[in-house]
Amino acid sequence: MLMPSVKIKLFATLRKKYGVREVYVECDGTIKDLIENASKILGEEFFNDIYDKERNKVRDDRIFTVNGRNIKDFKGNIEIKDDDVIAIFPPLAGG
Amino acid sequence: MSGGYMGRILRVDLTARTLNVESTPEEAVKRYLGGKGYAVYTFYQYLKDYESKGILPADIDPLGPENVLIFATGPGTGVPGFPCSGRYHAMALRSPLTGSIGSANSGGEWGPFLKFSGFDAIVIEGASEDPVYLSIVNGEADLRSACDLWGKNVFDTCRILTRKVGGKNKSVACIGPAGENLARMACIVNDEHRAAGRTGLGAVMGSKKLKAVVVSGEEKVPVAEPDKFREISRECLEKMRKNAVTGEGLPTYGTAILINVINTAGGLPYKNWQTGVNPDAEKISGETLAETYLTARRACWGCIIGCGRITSVKTGPFQILGTEGPEYESIWALGGSTAVKDLDAIIKANHYCDEFGLDPISMGSTIAAAMELNERGYIPKEDLQGLDLKFGNSAALVEAVWRTAYRTGFGKYLALGSKKLCEIYGHPELSMSVKGLEMPAYDPRAIKGIGLTYATANRGGCHVTGYTVSSEILGIPEKIDPLVPEGKAKWAKLFQDFTCVVNSTVNCLFSTFALGVKDYADLLSAITGWSLTEDDLLRIGERIYNLERVIINKYGFDGNDDTLPGRLIGEPMPEGPAKGHVVELEKMKEEYYKLRGWINGKPSSEKLKELEIEL
Repeated sequence: MLMPSVKIKLFATLRKKYGVREVYVECDGTIKDLIENASKILGEEFFNDIYDKERNKVRDDRIFTVNGRNIKDFKGNIEIKDDDVIAIFPPLAGG
Repeated sequence: MSGGYMGRILRVDLTARTLNVESTPEEAVKRYLGGKGYAVYTFYQYLKDYESKGILPADIDPLGPENVLIFATGPGTGVPGFPCSGRYHAMALRSPLTGSIGSANSGGEWGPFLKFSGFDAIVIEGASEDPVYLSIVNGEADLRSACDLWGKNVFDTCRILTRKVGGKNKSVACIGPAGENLARMACIVNDEHRAAGRTGLGAVMGSKKLKAVVVSGEEKVPVAEPDKFREISRECLEKMRKNAVTGEGLPTYGTAILINVINTAGGLPYKNWQTGVNPDAEKISGETLAETYLTARRACWGCIIGCGRITSVKTGPFQILGTEGPEYESIWALGGSTAVKDLDAIIKANHYCDEFGLDPISMGSTIAAAMELNERGYIPKEDLQGLDLKFGNSAALVEAVWRTAYRTGFGKYLALGSKKLCEIYGHPELSMSVKGLEMPAYDPRAIKGIGLTYATANRGGCHVTGYTVSSEILGIPEKIDPLVPEGKAKWAKLFQDFTCVVNSTVNCLFSTFALGVKDYADLLSAITGWSLTEDDLLRIGERIYNLERVIINKYGFDGNDDTLPGRLIGEPMPEGPAKGHVVELEKMKEEYYKLRGWINGKPSSEKLKELEIEL
């Protein structure tokens, strides 16, 4: 089966820490697999930086969007599809 | 007098050249705190007095001597240990840009230093015939000639007056050429780069021939319960240090870090709000600013965040060896809305805004409106006098800013603001403003709640009246869906009421990313010696917002003015995550008015009675 391939964009302190603006990653359609595969490229620490293992979900303090929509605003399961664009931000603010 | 207050207010009549010291009205500040609340309370007394003399509020000329300008601090301002209390609130009875109430807030050092000079607030009425500046040093106030300062830019004025005044804790708030020339979006700048930016308060100072207010002093702000305050302060400061936003995000990147996240949500207005997706956002982002231009950080007095950016453009036509900013809003207005993707030029344009005393939001938005008017062929070539106002033109952006300050060439039209400009050229629909105030950097087609805030903000298109973006995009204090109109009224009202408290405390809004209403109630109780609960504070905030609304009702604003530009209501977002969305304003407004107890944008008599507002 063809795995969905998506672009992950990193911002702010995450970009600084991992030294990349974006990476291309394949996954089985779930966010957890996507982040696991991204950590194979970016290092194991990346997984813990983004994912809350104990609660089995993306960390609450991350702004994690799929095609511009925050996953916290999705109703039901999220399926990652081919060519989706993922953006991940640490906590930030301004005004 | 309660703790937190110096107990003295300076009333200046520039026409009669008199200065009177009055006691801070204790009963009034118990009901309105200070800062914005004090100014709104005082304005209402002025309007009653004017009406008794047969002067109708709607007839008050914003640039006439009858306009009143207030600089006010609050009980938190200048209290060491109150997180981020280095601010003041400035207000005018009427804004020359909008005709509504004038209102703006600024950081730096001026607010605390006004208190250290012995005063809680300054009320300025009348107008001088010749340029003057107001000097307040250790409780002694004096009006002095500013003939030798008239025409000087903000930086020179700040430096000259800082040198002139003796003593410790010196700070200057002043206008530049834009204020002197009555550009409607002129602002008041203090400490060279901090500004009470919005609603044209610089033009009010210019109309009064008041070049500057310099303050200096060594008095300390009294605190009613110092031991209790120290304990609460320690806890609050710890919360702020540990908070990922106030402890890391804002210190590292400043406000410009928002460019990418708002663009990702499809809400970063581009080309005068034709869309909410900027293809060049990365080039003007906070990350790029930090990587390429940032040289140091700057914090306001008493601030542990330090979001201010010291930057430099090292080479090229827009070279500046040292400047401050730009902030998120300035980058967006001068860059995003104008489609200028050259951060060098944006930094230069922002520097000019500080140097000449212009609000970058209204400035950039007016230039963007002019660019759209021009590209659609609505501006006769001879009016432009060679200014090539096309989207993306960096050189034209920078030239347009200084031309506005000096009102030369096409600058004489730009200086009127986008509403008047677009009316002159027959297309008022291209002004992206509410009540005449240009909206800031969030497209409400992608962030619905902020649309309700823009529409119902008393001063006009404003985000810091009630920053629902905090919940809708950033998830603070809790995440709500930006594309859903339902339930936004509750949030808009809560943010607006709490913001009134913050602006009357007077403190920095950024503290609220880590601190809540309870923290404010505890801090203020210990400072003043009053027992304030969360409900008490929100009630004070609601009282201030409603009295401010009563004032603008008197100028003729009502529910019909609580609206948005047609583009946002009638033109679906063409792309991005909010593609196809418009703002369902009427639906949100209906719910909002119900919650507010307003009828067609006017507080009901029951609501005023409930809030104990005596008219």
